[in-house]
Amino acid sequence: MMNPRPLAGGVSAMAIRRRTLLKGALGAGALAGLAGCGGGDDGGGGGGAVTFGSNWSDEVPKNAIAAMMKGHDAEVSINTVDHNSFQENINNYLQGGPDDVFGWFAGYRMQFFAEQGLVGDISDVWSDIGSGFSEAMKQQATGADGKQYFVPLYYYPWAVFYRKSVWAERGYTPPATMDEFVALSKQMQGDGLVPLSFGDSDGWPAMGTFDYLNLRINGYDFHVELMAGERPWNSQEVKNVFDAWRELLPYHQPDALGRTWQEAAQTLLRKESGMYLIGMFMGQQFPEGPERDDLDFFPFPEIDPAVGADAVEAPIDGFMMAARPRNEEGAKDLLRYLGTAEAEDAYLAVDPNNVAAHDDADTSGYSALQKKSQELVSGAKSISQFLDRDTRPDFASTVMIPSLQAFLRDPDDVDGLTKSIEEQKASIFGG
Amino acid sequence: MTAAVKKRRKPVRPARVVLQAFLIVMAVGWIFPIAWAVYNSLRDFDYTSVNGYFSVGGFTLDNYVEAWSRGEFGQSFYNTAIIVIPSVLITLLLASMVAFVLARFSFPFNLTLLALFTAANLLPQQALLVPLFRLFLNFELSYDVSDSGSLYDTYVAVIAANIAFQTGFCTFVLSNYMKTLPRELTEAALVDGAGVLRRYWQLVLPLCRPALAALATLQITWVYNDFFWAVAFMRTGDKMPVTSSLQNLRGQFFTDYNLLSAGSVIVAIPTLIIFFVLQRHLRAGLTLGATKG
Repeated sequence: MMNPRPLAGGVSAMAIRRRTLLKGALGAGALAGLAGCGGGDDGGGGGGAVTFGSNWSDEVPKNAIAAMMKGHDAEVSINTVDHNSFQENINNYLQGGPDDVFGWFAGYRMQFFAEQGLVGDISDVWSDIGSGFSEAMKQQATGADGKQYFVPLYYYPWAVFYRKSVWAERGYTPPATMDEFVALSKQMQGDGLVPLSFGDSDGWPAMGTFDYLNLRINGYDFHVELMAGERPWNSQEVKNVFDAWRELLPYHQPDALGRTWQEAAQTLLRKESGMYLIGMFMGQQFPEGPERDDLDFFPFPEIDPAVGADAVEAPIDGFMMAARPRNEEGAKDLLRYLGTAEAEDAYLAVDPNNVAAHDDADTSGYSALQKKSQELVSGAKSISQFLDRDTRPDFASTVMIPSLQAFLRDPDDVDGLTKSIEEQKASIFGG
Repeated sequence: MTAAVKKRRKPVRPARVVLQAFLIVMAVGWIFPIAWAVYNSLRDFDYTSVNGYFSVGGFTLDNYVEAWSRGEFGQSFYNTAIIVIPSVLITLLLASMVAFVLARFSFPFNLTLLALFTAANLLPQQALLVPLFRLFLNFELSYDVSDSGSLYDTYVAVIAANIAFQTGFCTFVLSNYMKTLPRELTEAALVDGAGVLRRYWQLVLPLCRPALAALATLQITWVYNDFFWAVAFMRTGDKMPVTSSLQNLRGQFFTDYNLLSAGSVIVAIPTLIIFFVLQRHLRAGLTLGATKG
């Protein structure tokens, strides 16, 4: 192929120079790329702009956050990372020098990182903004050590959703107790509807059903202690929850493990099912306009009159500060602003799919569904966050998701299931 | 059907019928998901959500326009280029140097070294995530150079990890390929007075062009598809590669699958272009490498 002779000659030197030139150019380009890597685009030096790590990566919330930050009198540089990656990567993120202020969730999921010293104490910020939030909100912003680490932005309740038009046509009324709920489900089956849409292919939607059953059967305090790992999972109380769930399973859409929540919402949209226990974000699956306005909900019914139905599952999203922010003064100023009603109004004006956490937020622009959510949550005696936010993240994802899916596959072996959850819990929580 | 007709016209050849049937099934099996994604990427979400994906209608190009802007593909393609180009060039350069020495010189630990490079391929990336993360985090830099004050959250970290993990495989392939080159060529060059570097750069490397092209295609695709290192070592959304754009199109709760299909098609196009540009070399490279004596 190639004659080694011309190596000594001048002809090949020309040819080679052309090639080396090209390769050199490529190499230089690569080096330039490398050199540019570390270069700070936002150049946030010690006292410069406050950096804000945002996991609001969906189109609408992203714009809402931008509008909200514009209202702050100092410059904020926003770093948006897509929601799921941010969440899965939170450990790396917090240890690798996070942004000064960043978005996160309330409850145990906040306390978990507060205990490890990875987020900053903002109790002094709370002494300024505290008057704007209810006691329940403050409780959700407080770590196990009694200090505040979190500024709430909004919440979205979980409830049983239905289509007003379908219910009006068939003359259904919202049930207040479990007996009425079962009677209504039977009536729906008689009318050829699937009573409860259900899809659990992602693993987390079923947690909502478990949470509500546990809250209604065993009460809020038991639920919180169970989530914190302080109560055994193989107790009779937990078994009662699974037993109650098994009784309800005939009214659930079958084969839920092969269906995403979106596909389950689809059956409600197409009027093939009557109800759906899910979070308020479900509205996004409905086309805007008459279809979305047709949505309504009722709170999960009461099971035990002694326990009542005044606990509501309403995950809260909000903000936290890094343990060692580069610009602490600026970060706290920003958090003070984020804890005002004006800031929340700016957010919700762009993203009206949630309900403001602040007491004085402007509610005049709320849709019927938002107003109802606000009444539901402000009337609630206690607020739970959602299973994967109320307990250790590793317990929720590696133990509870497979366990709940195993229950849905084989609902009869409650003893074996609760025993296995308890054993795994012991190893994760450290006994 | 066609197979059955053919069978009647031509005598026997059952093997051919089986082959044709197999090829048709495989072709349909491979093409169907892609065609399905392309088809639904051209349709409106509200239409498919009401009528189901098996319907016809609701055609629109809006998904592509929206996917491009919402996924910020312009920025992320640029970021991917910053990662892919140096990664692939440096990997090939380093791997070809090692391969040249392993293939052309005999010294005591020659084979052991090759085995070491090959064995490193078997190491799962996940196992090294935490040590590498700590390493980059503790490699402190001035804030002028890196926003994070360390190698964490820089392209250098991602590029270095990619190079380290891809060099083993490239060395293995290249050294096997170089062993197929006639020894006389390098010996003649040696007699003519060419030094080691010259024999490597001007003689062996040009002859390895098919293998290099094949490897470049594979490497570009692999590094391009990488999401793991980027997510692990980066925290700035604006520095994320193109794979994160797809993740951006997935909502927190709600995913518009038509939009996601459009994004997937956009992401697939560069790999297709690279494949077709380097296709000729790829074929030559694969077959030539296979006949190692």
